[in-house]
Amino acid sequence: MKRAIPVLLLSVGGLVPVWMYSPGAAHDGELSEVAAPEPQQQTQKQAAPQTTGSAPKTTGSAPKATGAAPTTQQQQQQAQTRNVPGPAVQTSEGTVQVQVTLQGTKIIDVKALRAPNSNPTRMALPLLRESALKAQSADIDTVSGATATSDGYKQSLQAAIDGAR
Amino acid sequence: MPVRRVEHIMGLPISVDLRDGDAALAERAFAWLEEADTRFSPFKPDSEVSRLDRGELTREELTPDLVEVLALCDWYEESTCGAFTAQVPGRGLDPCAVVKGWAVQRAADILREGGASVFCVNAGGDVVTAGEPEPGKPWRVGVRHPDLADQLSVVLGVRDGAVATSALYERGQHILDGRTGQPVTGLLSVTIFSDDLAIADTTATAAFALGRDGIEWAASQEDCEVFIVDEDRRVFSSPGLPVHMC
Repeated sequence: MKRAIPVLLLSVGGLVPVWMYSPGAAHDGELSEVAAPEPQQQTQKQAAPQTTGSAPKTTGSAPKATGAAPTTQQQQQQAQTRNVPGPAVQTSEGTVQVQVTLQGTKIIDVKALRAPNSNPTRMALPLLRESALKAQSADIDTVSGATATSDGYKQSLQAAIDGAR
Repeated sequence: MPVRRVEHIMGLPISVDLRDGDAALAERAFAWLEEADTRFSPFKPDSEVSRLDRGELTREELTPDLVEVLALCDWYEESTCGAFTAQVPGRGLDPCAVVKGWAVQRAADILREGGASVFCVNAGGDVVTAGEPEPGKPWRVGVRHPDLADQLSVVLGVRDGAVATSALYERGQHILDGRTGQPVTGLLSVTIFSDDLAIADTTATAAFALGRDGIEWAASQEDCEVFIVDEDRRVFSSPGLPVHMC
């Protein structure tokens, strides 16, 4: 994951010229863009980035919901929230791809679309390993695990260990 | 001469496996635990904790020991935004979650100061170890499987250290979220490995009180390695956990 951070930053950096060019380029289908339907949802997306978790499917910048208040294209670009996915970058750890969310020409969010070990839990907990629970019996010296009552203790592995010696 | 002894103190079965001390030293450790129970139990009307709770003592009048215990309570309460608390709303002061690990760690310190270097103390499933039971081998501390009482979910190899587990399997839902007063959910079993049982035990309880948020919280605590089972039977473990390969 340590390597992924510079890669993410580089990817974001690489997006900047793309983003500078995007007002015209979007119509050429070079970039995938999704227009946020209305301002309320923009706020929600900032608060809970996972709601934009799916990769954008539509291409082209024609907004559907904002059509209710027609404006010139320039004005739309100022107000629109657009998700712009960056290129997928191959690293030794796996594929990394970031997406920036733009409001007008301002970046308001950056998130990973794809990252090594892209299970969300592992993304959130880089310090931890995740595995399935297993049961084993083994020769041990003592047991950790609450055997807090007398009855519980009598039936516990710890009692067996205490009594065996 | 090896000593093995089990006593029930603070409502806990406490086992002492002392490999290089004598019965008198073990007795001193148990006497301390009895004293800690007398002084800090919220269930004994004359205890310092009960007297503080009734307003018969001010914080300035407390013994340094209770000041230390309450400072630990306060620190963990703040760190967990109140999920861990010694003062659940509507209930009396109950610092038991800290007192247990703290008192057992001090019992282990008494053994060490008395010259013992190889021992294992187990208080209701919370463990302090010292040295090696056999040359070159650590104490093998099995962590109880959350569903199967006679099975283990992992075995840790510990020399000088502490292992505490907070889990639901026996006493029912005994840990309350201090923020809501409701039983906590999300986790089945939290095991913490640390240098000190006061830290390990309190961290385990506090992580449990946080529910799933406790996984990351516990893993980020200083000097703590975790082994946590959530309700979906997923295991989260620190890379530094001293897993013993059997």
